[in-house]
Amino acid sequence: MKIYINGTGAISPQQTAVGAAFWPAVQDYTTNRLKVVDPDYKQWIDLKQIRRMSRVIKMGVGAAQLSLQQAGISVPDGIITGTAYGCLDDTGVFLQKMVVQEEQMLTPTAFIQSTHNTVGGQIALLLGCHAYNNTFVHRGFSFESALLDAIMFLREGEARQLLVGGLDEITHFSHAILQRFGLYKTNPGHSGSLLQLHNKGTIAGEGAAFFVLGAASTPHTKACLAGVQTIYKPTDNAAIQQATTLFLAAHGLLAADIDLLITGRNGDVDDDQWYNTWTTAHFPGKPEAAFKHLCGEYPTATGFGMWLGANVLAHQQVPAEAMYSGTVPAKINNILMYNHHLTTHHSLILMQVC
Amino acid sequence: MEQLIADLKAQIIEQLNLQEVKPEDIGDDAPLFKEGLGLDSIDALELIVLLQQYYGIRIANPDDGPRIFTSVRTIAEFITEQKAK
Repeated sequence: MKIYINGTGAISPQQTAVGAAFWPAVQDYTTNRLKVVDPDYKQWIDLKQIRRMSRVIKMGVGAAQLSLQQAGISVPDGIITGTAYGCLDDTGVFLQKMVVQEEQMLTPTAFIQSTHNTVGGQIALLLGCHAYNNTFVHRGFSFESALLDAIMFLREGEARQLLVGGLDEITHFSHAILQRFGLYKTNPGHSGSLLQLHNKGTIAGEGAAFFVLGAASTPHTKACLAGVQTIYKPTDNAAIQQATTLFLAAHGLLAADIDLLITGRNGDVDDDQWYNTWTTAHFPGKPEAAFKHLCGEYPTATGFGMWLGANVLAHQQVPAEAMYSGTVPAKINNILMYNHHLTTHHSLILMQVC
Repeated sequence: MEQLIADLKAQIIEQLNLQEVKPEDIGDDAPLFKEGLGLDSIDALELIVLLQQYYGIRIANPDDGPRIFTSVRTIAEFITEQKAK
């Protein structure tokens, strides 16, 4: 049974919320922290409600609304979100007040808004959606888990159209802590050149990407989501090769059938060797696009990657800024995305033209 | 009293993150809940914390809440009354 991507919406460090196919002009950054380009959230959220929403909630609500608008529906049959960090900023506010105020006089808003499922809940409240609502918090598999849940839910025939999304924010504190772990480059240069750097570290990112997935195609359908596979802590590159072969075979495809690869390259020499081996061993000469120089690295960055892939299929073009190598064919039918987060959480997502 | 009312308006705006509301937009006697600013039950909890935080005042009887939080003036009167004790 095919799963149809009937609407997409992304709020990201690129201007992805202004109605263009991808972005009007690519944003180049010279820092190791890419922040989302905030649209005017008041177009979707009432002023009285927006005052209690932290940035990640607004990002989620905005991306959800964009995808619903594209799909031409107002209330989905369920809402499934994936987030690794959740509402990190409000968690920080609440914890800091607990320490500074010695657990006295704690305000309720930050606490209420600090749970991981707040975004899914707020979207449901705004839409008046009382249906299935679930949030997956599985580090680098959070978004993929949401997708898998949606696929199973649609296949069971319990829903016709589901709102599915992945989102994460980076805060001042989390960026400082992750920087101490050595995750980010100290001299990142221009983000547009990130993938040409072959040293340690990457750049931090954040964003929200939502999709309306359906059991049937509509006039708004952009692409098909053919399959999702997660591979946790593979022993070596060979395990990824094997998983890729089995994944393609399960969908009746050979490596030669893939028209475009999308990889999660992030400019970190250790992270990128997985992509180098995968493309060289399995897909020599295949055109490859990448996306983390556009959105940064974060646990649910595959949401941005899938947003890119779905729109490539819908518009049959790849933005020049996203191309890493090779030349795309005139007709793009199959896109295979391979991503890993911190070398432990690997995933494959197959998208097809409908 | 006038200074206290002005302080309270600024503190309410900050505590409740009332974006695009200025102190002069809040009438001294305008209702805070439902009408007027349209505050809700979560805001009521925030106001209780505000009283503790800025004025060291605890509301002993929750039933007094609706009377105290009718308007900025009734909050100011309650603070003045408590300080005088």
